[in-house]
Amino acid sequence: MKNFELAKKLDLESLLEIDKDIKVEGVYVGDLLSVVMSKAKADYIWITIQTHINVMAVAELLDISCIIVVENMEVEADTLQKARELGIPIFKSRESAYQVACKLNNMGIK
Amino acid sequence: MKELSMHILDIAMNSVKAEAKLIEITVEDSIKNNSIKITIKDDGKGMSKEILENVANPFYTTRTTRKVGLGLSMLKEASERCNGYLKINSQLGVGTIVESFFERNNIDRAPLGNIADTILVIVNSLKNCNLIYNHVVDDNSFTISTQQLKEILGEVVISDSNVVMWIKEYVNENINDLYKN
Repeated sequence: MKNFELAKKLDLESLLEIDKDIKVEGVYVGDLLSVVMSKAKADYIWITIQTHINVMAVAELLDISCIIVVENMEVEADTLQKARELGIPIFKSRESAYQVACKLNNMGIK
Repeated sequence: MKELSMHILDIAMNSVKAEAKLIEITVEDSIKNNSIKITIKDDGKGMSKEILENVANPFYTTRTTRKVGLGLSMLKEASERCNGYLKINSQLGVGTIVESFFERNNIDRAPLGNIADTILVIVNSLKNCNLIYNHVVDDNSFTISTQQLKEILGEVVISDSNVVMWIKEYVNENINDLYKN
């Protein structure tokens, strides 16, 4: 799936102008980075409210397919800069983690 | 809370409620020692031994209503999650010292957040009370004191929008400089 298709389907704001094919093997929802590190897997979509630069470090480490920041949280400039450098798509949603997760489930991602 | 500055704001509000005349906040950010220590000291009413013993227990309430919010419980949890601690010293009629410690490079350590905005929110809520804010990064430090500001300002009130803008820029510039060295 193209990252912008995902953004369109979930009504997300794309914070990075990159065109990328993303693989989606699953979804992980979590805000405590140490737990996310041990539980999320490669090619997962990660839904979180965390926005600081450590998020990009965890995403890179795990090979996360993309990050969805929920609850309309403001994402720091250095986080976006790092996302650009690493080529990891990052989106923003006004909805809650649960609402976004439900939409992904309805799209057939289990 | 997403940022340490939110914790600082919350604890400082306890000091305001405790009718402190002086609140002193010190953030010691040590890259060398891999630690962040936040100390909030006030000369407010202080807490009784009973309240102090239960202050970090989120289910503790006094017979009427809670005297303090959940802020200390949350700060305790946040610091302990980062191999740190929360220490509270308080004496009735003397004041309270809250000290929290974080392992700096812990992956769950929240970022400091916006210190200038936090200082401004605290300053805005002060009535007959002064604030001293110290920020230490290894060997360098920065201090801002509302007492000194008021002396310089004279007739001009600290809540004047030009003063507020100036404080914000002054704090941001000085704290950023501490990290450049």
